[in-house]
Amino acid sequence: MVHSLDPRVGRLPTIGTPGMVVPKVPLDQLGTFEVFVQPKEGKPFQHEGIVHAPDLELAYVLAKETFTRRFTCTSLYVVETRHVYVSPTTEGGVSVAAVLPAITGPDGEPLSFELFMLPKRGKQHVHIGTVMATLPQEAMHRGFQQNLHGGKTVYNLWAVRTTDIRFTTPEEKELWLTLPEKKFRDAAEYKGGDKLKAFLEKQRP
Amino acid sequence: MYGGGNTFEGIKNDGLAQENPEKLAAFEARIARGEKIEPTDWMPQLYRKQLIRMIEQHAHSEIIGALPEGTWITRAPGFKRKMALMAKVQDEVGHAQLLYSAAETLGKSREQMIDDLITGKSKYSNIFNYPTFTWADCCFISWLVDAGAIVNQLANAKGSYGPYCRALDRICAEESFHLKYGHHCVIYLATGTAKQRAMFQEALNRWWPPLMHFFGPSDKISAHTEILMRWKVKMSSNDDIRNQFLDMYVPKIWELGFTIPDANLKKNEETGKWEYTEPDWEEFKRVINGDGPCNKERLEVRRIAEERGRWVREALKSPESAYVMPLA
Ligand SMILES: [Fe+2]
Ligand SMILES: [Fe+2]
Ligand SMILES: [Fe+2]
Repeated sequence: MVHSLDPRVGRLPTIGTPGMVVPKVPLDQLGTFEVFVQPKEGKPFQHEGIVHAPDLELAYVLAKETFTRRFTCTSLYVVETRHVYVSPTTEGGVSVAAVLPAITGPDGEPLSFELFMLPKRGKQHVHIGTVMATLPQEAMHRGFQQNLHGGKTVYNLWAVRTTDIRFTTPEEKELWLTLPEKKFRDAAEYKGGDKLKAFLEKQRP
Repeated sequence: MYGGGNTFEGIKNDGLAQENPEKLAAFEARIARGEKIEPTDWMPQLYRKQLIRMIEQHAHSEIIGALPEGTWITRAPGFKRKMALMAKVQDEVGHAQLLYSAAETLGKSREQMIDDLITGKSKYSNIFNYPTFTWADCCFISWLVDAGAIVNQLANAKGSYGPYCRALDRICAEESFHLKYGHHCVIYLATGTAKQRAMFQEALNRWWPPLMHFFGPSDKISAHTEILMRWKVKMSSNDDIRNQFLDMYVPKIWELGFTIPDANLKKNEETGKWEYTEPDWEEFKRVINGDGPCNKERLEVRRIAEERGRWVREALKSPESAYVMPLA
């Protein structure tokens, strides 16, 4: 048993042996999901990071906790990392458009893809639009053809099948409505200035 | 929360001889231009190794740092303080999540990082191996340990590794609430009853030495880190960060009428640097190596939490899951 000032620590059950670790097996921490957030209505979604989760549904919940607890957010979506197709990364003034081979997919029913571009090294990927294609490489190529990147230099491009994404439903948008009410975690709520000033004035001889 | 700590002990530069000189030159030129390094870019082994070590320690510090404050949630004075402290502790655990992900982009699995924390192979900020006896200890952490961490994190956010910088930008944005909240708590104690003032003074006496340790060993005795500075892994020397912290916060502590337990502490107006009694680096080493008041408790709490959660993770695991390294 651990001797602690915290009674809850004293009450922890005895499991295993202190200092002895049962090494974690692969995937103990589950797979990873990429998280995209829309900070304001009308703004594009941007990549924020990842969460570990067992499935899309829980990834969505964890993403909400990890990435949209504090800042304004109007919508969120997640996709499994392995479902993101990644272009080569370029540098200098070279755009991905210049190095991407012009691929036409096989005949067949076209699928919907979401495209995300990296406009500057060190920044986040941002959503630039949706295209129809039969292959992710073809989707990227079409994105350039349709000038979804607005003529900018693209340093990296991601393509994701729209159906692989767990989107926010219209009803779920109310998840973020109470964000501004949670003042107890807002720096501006902690003004000690007046109390401090009164105290300092009293100290003065 | 994270300080200078013991991150960069024992660097040997000889490994660099095995690196491809052209690639190394391009890598260094990129950093010199102020560009970020991304996970898929070429990088020297030493860079990768030291970054994993630093980001991982930072992640562990956030998650272990949640413990000494977390224990006070149920006893924080009043509903509003409880809500705020709960939100702060949740933020710290969230910071760990962001940082583990950033470290993962360098190729170390989260499983391995958690195992290494619990076996004691990986370290975390030494300061969390000390106990929070009173509410004032908790306030000390919220205000001044966070303040120290922020000075360090703001510097590191200008570093060269993209995923770490982006995680730090998010973290720093959340820290402003921690700092304001912590200062608010201390102002209330300082302007309260004689008992409240005494309680904070005692906390200050207890925590000052570990806080001086927090920024890492003095430059005189710490490992050579020139190459890590050039690669923008380490952004300033331990003594510089410590000095920056003293410059910003000693006047604020004095303003509240408290006494810092170091008779030699004063700013040298000529050099612009603070002078202080050299912290006890033997104690620092001893505590890092496991012999602090709370080391065992902290690791046991983590170990038991991992063990108790195992069946849940196993039950949730989907057979289709496959591991892919996070993208950015
Ligand atoms: Fe931190
Ligand atoms: Fe933190
Ligand atoms: Fe914090």
